[in-house]
This record gives sequence, structure tokens and C-alpha cells, in this order.
Amino acid sequence: MDRRSFLQRLTFFGGGVVLLGSSACKCGESSEPSRTQAAAPTEPPHLSFTRAEYAVVAAACERILPRDEDPGAKDADVSVYIDRILQTPELTQMRTDFAQGLAALERRSQRMFQVGFAQATPAQQDELLTVFKDSPAGSGEAHFFELLTVLTLEGFLGDPSYGGNKAQVGWKLVGFDTVGTMASAPPEGHDGAKCLHTCGRHP
Amino acid sequence: MTKEPVDVCIIGSGAGGAPMALELGRAGFKVVVLEKGPHYQPKDFIHDEILNSRRNFFMPLPWEEPHLVRQGATARYERTNSAWTANCVGGGTVHMSGYFYRLKPVDFRLRSTLGAVKGSTLADWPISYEELAPFYDMAEAELGVSGEVVAHPFAEPRKGPYPLPPLDVHPIARELDRVVGEMGWHSLPTARGIISRPYRGRAGCAYCSLCGSYGCEMGAKSGTNASLIPAALATGKVELRPRCMARSVEVDAQGRARSVVYLDADGEVQEQPAKVVVVSCTAVESARLLLNSVSNRFPRGLANGSGLVGRNLIFSSFGESRATFRVSKQKAARPWLTDPAPFVNRSVQDFYLLPDERFGFRKGGTLGFMWTHPNPIFASVGLAGSGKDGVFGKELKDRMRAYRDSRILQFEVYGEFLPTPDTYVTVEQSVKDKYGLPVAAITMERHPMDFAATRFLVERGEEILLRLDPDDLHRVGVAGETTILQHGTCRFGNDPTTSVLDRECRAHEVSNLYVVDGSFMPTAGSVPSTLTIVANSFRVAHGLVERMKRNELNRPAKG
Repeated sequence: MDRRSFLQRLTFFGGGVVLLGSSACKCGESSEPSRTQAAAPTEPPHLSFTRAEYAVVAAACERILPRDEDPGAKDADVSVYIDRILQTPELTQMRTDFAQGLAALERRSQRMFQVGFAQATPAQQDELLTVFKDSPAGSGEAHFFELLTVLTLEGFLGDPSYGGNKAQVGWKLVGFDTVGTMASAPPEGHDGAKCLHTCGRHP
Repeated sequence: MTKEPVDVCIIGSGAGGAPMALELGRAGFKVVVLEKGPHYQPKDFIHDEILNSRRNFFMPLPWEEPHLVRQGATARYERTNSAWTANCVGGGTVHMSGYFYRLKPVDFRLRSTLGAVKGSTLADWPISYEELAPFYDMAEAELGVSGEVVAHPFAEPRKGPYPLPPLDVHPIARELDRVVGEMGWHSLPTARGIISRPYRGRAGCAYCSLCGSYGCEMGAKSGTNASLIPAALATGKVELRPRCMARSVEVDAQGRARSVVYLDADGEVQEQPAKVVVVSCTAVESARLLLNSVSNRFPRGLANGSGLVGRNLIFSSFGESRATFRVSKQKAARPWLTDPAPFVNRSVQDFYLLPDERFGFRKGGTLGFMWTHPNPIFASVGLAGSGKDGVFGKELKDRMRAYRDSRILQFEVYGEFLPTPDTYVTVEQSVKDKYGLPVAAITMERHPMDFAATRFLVERGEEILLRLDPDDLHRVGVAGETTILQHGTCRFGNDPTTSVLDRECRAHEVSNLYVVDGSFMPTAGSVPSTLTIVANSFRVAHGLVERMKRNELNRPAKG
């Protein structure tokens, strides 16, 4: 009986992983400066990543959801989603954790394959991601893999207004285009990221 | 700054606070409602999973406002967002599914009917089902409840039909009725806090598929935000102040509640004097507020001379299993499987009491049947799994494609959660939230009977699901707790040495302080408790209005 696994039952559907990852939970205590303040300004057009980091993000997301007979992460613009959502002020710690994970992934790729992650073969990329996935719970590697998976799924299956799920390819893959949006799609012009901060503020 | 004094200041606008606001406003008393969260309007309720379910639209972020949780007094606390309900006008009734069951007469007399249980602080209620029944009627009428009364051996007595006819259900409900009947059990329609037809100026349900965990943009879900709060504001006597976080309840020299100190939407400290203070912030947060309200008169927290505030915390025992029907395999035999109707609305209560004392106590619970929630990110994160069992790449996509070809029927268990001496709420001085207030800390040491009974209920539910010939049956769990259903931290009773509140939900130690969320409940029944909290709040409001009209605020309540 694994009590932990459903101890925090998601009666409130979602929430769990990204926002509550074990290391994310510590961030109230640490006042580490946010990465954009600490690091050099990022190159356009990316908001949260350098050009090199962005290439790693795109490659890693594509291994989580590769294109096969159905569209994959790149087709859905998942990395655009991640780049934008990590600009959310409340997710500063997550952005730091994610960038550290990317750097670790890149270092490990250089060591194992003598090439950067984005240049490695898909089989090598999968091998490396599996190492991260299977790392001990609570480790930085395992936490990064969890962030990567959940952010990829958010970008693939979230409202397109956040920058991912282009042409609703994610919803089509899981059938949500017929079930979930029936008579209930968000209104024309809905901007989820903006709404995160403005909803409920009425004069 | 100090505000103009009012008759009653209510903290919280959900299932407990809203009925009080409505009844006091109707009686002509001047009322201020302080609500921690924003006042969402229907247009704010958007079917956007990221906004609604994965960020802080409803629930606070655990690094801004954590609830500390530990398994036993020797374990380490973890920062979580569990045991919150929505922080907005309407509280948990905004994102509820609205399964509106009543408690049964036995729930008011568990200890005297079924006997004491070793290791549990089980207590009878000081009131009976018959005393609460008229207020269940009132709550159902004021909120708008859709349902169908059927005679069955476990039915609680009620006077008449539901205010609204039942919602339309998916054809699978007929199959459930058939197989449950064949097993000699009873498939009962589940009443819902969702209006099936236009009612009191509100539009009826549009049968969208995103109901539970979302706000209703139609106003058809009977949250207090759509029903009682607008009615209360319409009395002209009630002022609602959203984004106002109560910091403490202050007392005068006689130890009576004098005012509520709170932080307003701009973070400014304000003080609201009132003749009566009503606390209704959820069982966890109300205990926290009282424990944080320290004074010379109450050094251990307001109304806590007994040391009982925060003790006897109870949630609801949770178990779940899921039956998967592959559409491609089953659609010839069951062409209706892909019918988009969102509701199943069937319950089984044949094991509300267990057939014998095999687990040491004869309390069981309720099985509620429903389709799994359609949130696609939530579902896919589950499909991906985690750690060594987790998958990615083609395997994950194959699972997502299989999910597209599935309809998944589940049941939830609402099981008895026995109070124990080691399950309680305290405040943790060393951990402050974003307002600078010590946070609530929850310690849980559950009673083994809960797990045994919940497992028994899960097994019965699985027998039912298997009769439906699913392609797969998956047990989600048998030993969880539903922390949005929370109770007990200020239990009511006739004896001030064993209870915080009297039978009128007034603090034994503070004659003008009331607590009307789930805190009052010494036992929580084996159903979701929302309707019961609303009904009880109407009952308490009724008594308070009478007392205020007779100017008898200072007199002790009737025994």
C-alpha cells in the first residue's frame, strides 16, 4: 500500500506536480535571485532561455513527445510555451531549477557523448533522459525530469493562448477536442497568461 | 484604521458564511463579510485547465501560503497545498462537484448507536437529524438542488421532493442500475447542487463537461457565489469585502469578541468592530485564525481555554477504482458509450453501515459513481507516471492514444474518518505565510478502522464495475483522505470540557463568537459534507437572529 502516492489526493484536478515538486516547495525559504537578474540578459527572441538553452529545451521536449504518426512537441510549439510560462513571477524558483537542470543535462551529454544534448542522436538523448528519470526521488536530476515532463504536457495540452498546443494538436491526440471543448471553449481572444493575473479584479 | 461598527462580521463566504449573511441580512442586521479571495464573476470562469486547475486561481501556492502536513507527531512537516478549498467568494462551493447528500440519522448518534471505538475520540452530536431536517429543506431550496427521491432501505427521512428534477444522465447509469439491482443492492440517484432547469433567475445546466474543480460560467452550479451571496447582497444590509485576509479576532476586557483585524486588498491593516463575530474559513483555517488570535485573556488562542481548538480534525476517507471501456472494442455492443453526457449520478449506500463488526466498528460509507475528470493535462501527467515506473516518448504517446479510445468510469469512496487524539491542527510560529501570519500545521495519525472499511467499500465497488464488463479495472487507492472535506476542529457539544462550541455553534468561552464551517462536526458522516454545513449554518442563523431580536446575546445557549 503506497500511502504517499495518493496522500495528497488531487481533488482539485491538477496542481500537483509542477507547482508542488519537492524542491519547488522549498522556495519560500530561499531568496536566491532569479536567473534573469543573475545571468546576462538573454538573447532575443527567447524570454527565459539563451539560444543554446532553447535548443536543448526543444530537443528534450521532442523526446518526451516525439513526432510519429501523430504530431509531437515541436509541432505543438511546446518550447514556446515553456519559454513564456517560466516568465510567470510566481514561478521564479521553477525557472532557476529548470535552468540548472538544463545545464546538468548539457554537461552530462558532453561527458557521455562528447556532444551537446541538442546535437546528440535521439537514442543518446533518450538514454540520458532515462538516467535523469530514474535518479533517486528528491535528486536534482529527478526533479528536472519531472518539471520537463509536466511542462511539456502543459505546453502540449494547455490552452493555445499560452503559446503551445498549436492548432490544438495535443487535444486532438487525446480526444479532448471533441469531449472537453464541446459548448465550453474559452471565449474568443482569451489570453490565459494575462488572465492568471487579472481575473477577478473588477472595478 | 477602524471601520464603522456593524452588528455581525462574518469571516468567509462559502458554505458556512453565506447562509449566515443571507439570514442576518434578511432580518435587517448590518453585516460585513470578509473574504480572503477575489470575487470572481461568471466571465472569469474559463475552461482553461492551466489557469483554473494548475495555478493559484483557486488555491494558494504552497510557497506563499503552505499548509504543513506530517504523518504522525514524529515525522517531518512537508509544505503542501492540501486542505485548502478555493480562496474566492463562495469558497469551496465554487469548484465543488456538488454531490449533495444528507447525513443519516445514525450519523448524529454514532457513539451511542454503534459504541465507542478504542483509539478514537468519537462523540455524538448534541442535536438530532430531526432538528436539522427543516434546515436541510431550506438549504436545498435556497441553493437549488436537483434530484430524485427513491425509496430504499437506507434512505434518510425527508418531507418532500427536491426543488428541481434530476439532471439528465449518461446511458451508463441504466447499466449501473441493472447490475447493482442484480447484485441485490440499490443504485440511487445522486442529488446535485446544480440546477437542472432555470431557477430563481439562474440559468439551468448547459451540460458542459468541465464541472467539478471549475467555476460555473452559467451560474447553474449552486455555489454560494451564484445563489446565497447575491441574495444576501440584495437585502441591502450586507457588505462583501473581497481580498480581505482576517488576521485575528480581538477581545474586550470581558473576553468577548470585539472586532476583526484584517489586511485589506491593498495590504493595509483594518479593524472591523462588531457585536457578533462569525468565523467560517474552513475547519483548518478557522482553527488557525482562533489559535493566532492570542490575547491576555486567551493566551492559547481565542476560545481555547480548553485546549481543544484544532483537535479532533477529520477529513473524509477516500478510495477509488476505475473501469476502462475501449470505445473501438465496445462500440458495437454499446453504441451509446461515446454519448457526451457528463453525469452518471449514481450512488450505492448499502454499506453505509457494515453488515457486522469485522473491523471493530460498523461504520462504512458511500460509493459515488462518475466519469473520470476530462482535464487532459491532469490525465496525461497520470499516464506518464513518475520515477522508475514513469514513461516518456512513444510509450507515453501510445498511452495517450489509448486514452483517446477510452471512456473511464470510476467510483469514489466517502468513508468514515474517525477522530483520533493524534490528528489535529496547530499553528507553526516558525513558518509564516505571505501575510506574515503563522501557518496551519496538520498532523495525521489515522485510525486503522478507516482503512479497513474503505478497502471493504473499494472491493464492493470493484465488484460492481466488473459486472459492467470493462476492458480494464485499475485500483487507484484504498487509504487516502479527501482534504477538501474538513471538519471537527471546533467540535460542538453540551460539555465545555469536551467541546469548543455549544449546540448553537457558539463558543462556550466567548458568548458572541460563532464558528459555522465544518469545524463544528464531531463526526462527518460518510458523504460529502457541503450540504450539511449549509443546513447547519441556516440553523445557527435562525437561532442567532432570534437571540439578537430579543437582545439576548449575552445569555448562555439552551442546553
